[in-house]
Amino acid sequence: MTNKEKLQNLIQDVFLLTPEEFRFDLKRIEIETWDSFGVVSLSVGVQQTFGYHFKPEEATAIQGVDDIIKLLTSKGITFE
Amino acid sequence: MLILCEKDLHSQPSRLAEAWAGADTFVLLPDKLSVTDEWLAQNLSLIPHSLHRDHFIMLTSGTTGQPKLIVGNRERSKKLVRVLHDLQDSEPVQETIAMLPLSYTYSFVNQWLWSQVLKRRFVTTQGLSNPKSLKETLEKARDAMICLVGVQVPLLMNLLDGNVFQGVIRLHFAGGRFPQEKLEELRGMFPNAQVFNNYGCAEAMPRLTIRRAEDAGEAANIGRPLPGIEMRSDDQHAILFRSPYGAVGVVEDAQFMPITPDDWTASGDLGEMDDHGSWCLLGRASEVFKRHGEKVSLSSLATTVSGAWSGQCAFYREADRTGEDGCVLALAPEATSESVKPVLMALRKHHPRAHWPLRIETVATLPLLSNGKTDIRSLSSLPNKTALWQQHI
Repeated sequence: MTNKEKLQNLIQDVFLLTPEEFRFDLKRIEIETWDSFGVVSLSVGVQQTFGYHFKPEEATAIQGVDDIIKLLTSKGITFE
Repeated sequence: MLILCEKDLHSQPSRLAEAWAGADTFVLLPDKLSVTDEWLAQNLSLIPHSLHRDHFIMLTSGTTGQPKLIVGNRERSKKLVRVLHDLQDSEPVQETIAMLPLSYTYSFVNQWLWSQVLKRRFVTTQGLSNPKSLKETLEKARDAMICLVGVQVPLLMNLLDGNVFQGVIRLHFAGGRFPQEKLEELRGMFPNAQVFNNYGCAEAMPRLTIRRAEDAGEAANIGRPLPGIEMRSDDQHAILFRSPYGAVGVVEDAQFMPITPDDWTASGDLGEMDDHGSWCLLGRASEVFKRHGEKVSLSSLATTVSGAWSGQCAFYREADRTGEDGCVLALAPEATSESVKPVLMALRKHHPRAHWPLRIETVATLPLLSNGKTDIRSLSSLPNKTALWQQHI
């Protein structure tokens, strides 16, 4: 499974999205289940899946799926 | 004290009628005993001598798994049977078909005792453990009443799907969540049956309220109290009752506790009365908890899940790794990642994240207690459960 697929599965699992609802340019504002506990759950999920633990300011700054990719890419995790 | 075991009654059903007709108090035990002989002897010895005549004793474990002895009064129970007969419009009923163990107070009073008092036929079956024989019995039924618990409905639909049983004219439910969303299917299978939601508990011996299925649209609506029964809820929404038909005492935690006419007894459920005098269940007292400050009702979650999953479901409690209270949802029969998706979507639609289960697991069958309810203790410790989804916490 590629990192892109892993991330898609994680986002769908954490926010209970269908594959049809998922997009890589999806924004936080479009996902009603991206609440404060969703942020925590996403953070734990990213750590469990990619081994990187968001710093609090990073978790707060993420406003969409593309931000997660950018952040993880900057930590050496590739999404090609 | 005369002790009757349900398994002995299969070969000698007249023994129960003889015990009922006799003066001595007797004990009716289930096939699968959850207590040792020593426990039974010690706890029976706590029952006062004044109750050694004209009473009967049932062993119940309820959903908590804590065994207790419930002492019923025969005259009170006979009065309840007559009240139920009128309220349930049972005069046309000529026979009752047992699909639950007799050691379950619901089946014992609503069916066996009713058949004794009203001089109607009592038909024994092996229930859903022998679907072929059950099907034959239901096909032969004439003006029959059956009593079920909600958890039996998916099994019934699975095993006897496509069959129509014209001879069943009364269909009663108790002992768990009322299968409101399955009414159409039930009416297809039992087209001539009036369907009732009964509510009560062992201490009520066993009925408190009743409603016809069509009188409300929500499973949680249990209807109004039977005549003579008083109900109220305390500031925590715990349902309390006083009943002229109820048990007269309970042996629990190694002590006998009498139930006097002035005592308010907890049914074990949370609920509230609506403006029309009907009661609505909010969940078992043990099934409502707080998670992240949100009140979580397993009953409400079960309603949501039932709308998206046609099989059986049950919840058990578990703390997450931070120590916060949570629950795990178990689905049966075997679900798949694909078939669990509608459940997840229903949870998202109807509940905030704090209500979502920590995990969704699947098992081939839910373990059951002898009374047909899910054995939550066994379920939580069951090996070979497959997790289909889990929260990242």
